[in-house]
Amino acid sequence: MSATCEFQAKDYKSDLKPIWCPGCGDFSVVQGIYRALAAIGRPPHEIAFVSGIGCSSRIPGYTTAYGFNSVHGRSLPIAQGIKLANPDLLVLAAGGDGDGFSIGGGHIAHLIRRNIDITYIVMDNQIYGLTKGQLSPTSQKGRVTCTSRYGSMENPVNPLLYVLAYGAGFVAQASPTDLAGMAATIEEAIRYPGFAFVNIQSPCVTYGEEAQQIKGLKAISESLKELGHNPEDRLAAMDLAQHYGEKLHLGVFYKNPEPQPTYDALVRERQALLSKDALPKERILDLFIKK
Amino acid sequence: MRKDLVFGMAGSGGDGIVSAGDSLLQAAAAEGYHGVMTKSFGSQIRGGESSCRVRISTTPILNPGGNLDVAVALNWEDFLKFGAELPVAGTTVVIYEAATGIKETEIPLVGVTPLQVIAVPIAAMAKETAGTERAKNTVVLGLIAGWFGIGAVAVMKGIRKKLAKKGEELVEANQRAFDAGRAFAMEHPLKASMNVAASETKGQVKLITDGNDMCGAAAIFAGCQFFGGYPITPSTEIMQFFTDHVWKYGGAVLQAEDEIAGIGAAVGASFAGKKAMTATSGPGLSLKSEMMGLATIAELPLVIVDVQRGGPSTGLPTKTEQSDLFAAAFSAHGDVIRPVLAPTSVADTFRITIEAFNIAEHYQTPVIVLSDQEIASRKETLDPIDTSQFKIIDRLRPAAADLVDYKRFKQTENHISPISHPGMLGGTYLASGIEHVESGAPTNSGNVHQRMNDKRTKKFDPLKDRKDLFEVTGNPDAPIAMVAWGSVAGVCREALAMAQAEGLNVKLLVPYLLYPVAENVYNDYFASVQKGLVIEQTHLAQTFKLLRMHLDLPKGVTSLARSGANPFLPGEIVAALHRLLSELQRSHEGNLQPQE
Amino acid sequence: MAPRIDFASLSLMDALDLAVLIEEEAQERYEEFAAQMEQHRTPEAAAFFRLMAINEAKHGRELAARRSQLFGGVPATATRAMIFDVEAPDYDEARAFMSPRRAMKAALASEAKAHAFFVAALPAIQNPEVRALFEELRDEEVYHQELVKTELAKLPPDSGLSDEDFVDEPTAQ
Repeated sequence: MSATCEFQAKDYKSDLKPIWCPGCGDFSVVQGIYRALAAIGRPPHEIAFVSGIGCSSRIPGYTTAYGFNSVHGRSLPIAQGIKLANPDLLVLAAGGDGDGFSIGGGHIAHLIRRNIDITYIVMDNQIYGLTKGQLSPTSQKGRVTCTSRYGSMENPVNPLLYVLAYGAGFVAQASPTDLAGMAATIEEAIRYPGFAFVNIQSPCVTYGEEAQQIKGLKAISESLKELGHNPEDRLAAMDLAQHYGEKLHLGVFYKNPEPQPTYDALVRERQALLSKDALPKERILDLFIKK
Repeated sequence: MRKDLVFGMAGSGGDGIVSAGDSLLQAAAAEGYHGVMTKSFGSQIRGGESSCRVRISTTPILNPGGNLDVAVALNWEDFLKFGAELPVAGTTVVIYEAATGIKETEIPLVGVTPLQVIAVPIAAMAKETAGTERAKNTVVLGLIAGWFGIGAVAVMKGIRKKLAKKGEELVEANQRAFDAGRAFAMEHPLKASMNVAASETKGQVKLITDGNDMCGAAAIFAGCQFFGGYPITPSTEIMQFFTDHVWKYGGAVLQAEDEIAGIGAAVGASFAGKKAMTATSGPGLSLKSEMMGLATIAELPLVIVDVQRGGPSTGLPTKTEQSDLFAAAFSAHGDVIRPVLAPTSVADTFRITIEAFNIAEHYQTPVIVLSDQEIASRKETLDPIDTSQFKIIDRLRPAAADLVDYKRFKQTENHISPISHPGMLGGTYLASGIEHVESGAPTNSGNVHQRMNDKRTKKFDPLKDRKDLFEVTGNPDAPIAMVAWGSVAGVCREALAMAQAEGLNVKLLVPYLLYPVAENVYNDYFASVQKGLVIEQTHLAQTFKLLRMHLDLPKGVTSLARSGANPFLPGEIVAALHRLLSELQRSHEGNLQPQE
Repeated sequence: MAPRIDFASLSLMDALDLAVLIEEEAQERYEEFAAQMEQHRTPEAAAFFRLMAINEAKHGRELAARRSQLFGGVPATATRAMIFDVEAPDYDEARAFMSPRRAMKAALASEAKAHAFFVAALPAIQNPEVRALFEELRDEEVYHQELVKTELAKLPPDSGLSDEDFVDEPTAQ
């Protein structure tokens, strides 16, 4: 990566006006992303930013990067295709908790085990906002919504434990209660060479519960650094991650001190190794000659 | 001397009948013959019934043939399971395993008296010469060499090469089994000689491959640098071809976690500026349809190969059918045109796959290639193809002027907008599944939606004038006509030749472009037609209905359609054409009667 | 939140730079809020947030002028990463269809928040010039609060009704 200081946060802000409700946590997330990208300094045209469908999935359009607002739950499959087709790009994927852990939940494990160098940001608000307030995979048990009038009967997914269990090399959490911290966390995630996951508690002002708004989140937030958590300790990270929903731990849960080679790097190695065996394309049918 | 022989062989998987077919085809190719081999299996992974059909000819072959000239049954139970796939007629020589204990006069074929029936102690000969019954398939190859003059030298040359690594002892054992088979044939000559004439192209280089490998090679030749897919029979070999070769050309292949992720990664790779594809079969096509809608509205080039099998659902996963036509043409939600192409043979799979990439790139659209199980898995001998005749088209990239205030979905005269990709300075835009204005910004406007739908559909108008994507053979003014595509086209080509030899005035249209329906091409074709058949392997007559949806077909044009795994025979099509002729004659006579 | 500023060793230049950044952050947030209100057809609140943005910008310019007079072009070491939401209203203070009263109350709360920031920082500060600056800034916030309160007083009496009582349901997308 060619880090330069030429770019400022505003260089990553597009002219599109967000459709988010005033008071939505996602306004702060996009600011955090602008800042992280400015700190990294890659020019916007070398960044591909993919999302699925949902309120938060509108986010690529609000940046000056190459954006792709795709279909519900499929930001990661598309992002991995982009990264494998051109490993030089900085690839970000983002979406909501429903997009990531419900309809698209099957993809996360596989991006993690392939260790494709993508940063995945989930804006987790425990609700489906775009479709007007239905139960989401991270909604608390008992939560009353328009699809759970008498209270949810399901346990929520724990996004942090989910990705830790599959072996993600970088797992962190942030929230609009600390924008500077969020920007720093996103920056660290992008710099991590491999699949990096950031769960951002981003309140839904329209359908979220009062306790999940910024003031409520502030009351339960704790800095992992201040707790003295060692981000190289995966088991300690899993221990802390169990408190998802009760406490809001901010910062890096886990960062593999010895990152595995990324899939995209292995692809390049294989290409380099095998390219010398290539028949010229115009002679590819020679493969079928039977002597 | 014969010019053409069709072998059909069946046994259990353990009998190695398919490897025998492979050896026969390769030996025939080495001797300069043209050959086609198809395989058909039961549903077990190992040890179920398996069969192959090998057609060998001194001239280029149009299809795997109709009735068998030579039937080989290692046991009757397995042979009979293939039914119409291995049809025995009065012209067939039947060779079968004597150990079945069935008398030559009592073989279990109902309603047919073969030309000759020969019981051969195949297993016993294998055991005696090679020390194992497993060598039965080599004995069969020896019998074929002895009776039909194919592969006397080349078969053992091939086996020798294949087994060289395993030691001389094994090669010798096979040689003895082969010699025994050949000797048996010499000692028991056929009632009438069925030797095949020597090939005119003896000594020339031949290629042998199947439709799936050909598709992979064509894709790489066309510049495809990314394959995302998921294993599904009978398409998986395309992905395997990529894993063997694409790296060498700077590309990558991803065996994804599911069908959706496979096409999703290909959509991503295309967005990133690379030619990309996926391959699947019917159930996978259903799963991929949402992503195809995305690629359509985001105007991203993409090739989707659907190797059709019997459907719906798991259906008949190892047998061929053409019943994904509706799914390919109409799988989209929304108002969508998505070009659908179909090859008719292994050889033209090369050209049609390249066309698919060219169309995808030029029109910035997903393109579906409807292959089928027969083409995908059948092996053909091919004369070398001059690859320099194929033009490769790349998507329209923005010029410097386009990148000033770049508009990704700019309205242009031909409705095709220059397309940038990540990494290109000045070209950033938002690709999206949501309706968008020219810049790519999302919109809810009905006006814009109407205009963009216009853009996304009208851009295909020139495609419908691509006459080179249609093949018309026979007399262009004939009153009797056939339409057929995919693997059925080959049968109809042969039927056409037979019908013409019998004096019928008939023609055949083979569309390589199935959708959008090229109304003008069909209207021109049907102008002279009074009677005709749309011939297809679908239960619902999907092709016939698709054409009727777009055209006023002449009244006399009807459908000849049936489910997959029930192959058409050239002879039955010729018979159907004769019926059309007599109907035509009757109606003319009727017209001559004075009207009341 | 981890303390990102070491007040004990803060120099006057750094303190001035921080003050400028705090005004800049507030200005940007008010502009962002104004844009949100315009996007969501709430023009009165938008106009008020624009006004606040102009005020913050003006104050920021004054501080920047002082900084450049005293320290010229010496490169700054203070960064935006050291502060968050000091004088800027919290992100979730914005609401669709918010009344001017609610907008002003949000501004008032953020001025109070800024006041509390300087009050909390003062005991740790050792440099007398920095102390003087922070006291000045603290008092400034009181003055700002008075300005907003004056504006609030001009409004007709609060009806006690909620903004949400009159608007349409959100639209599913």
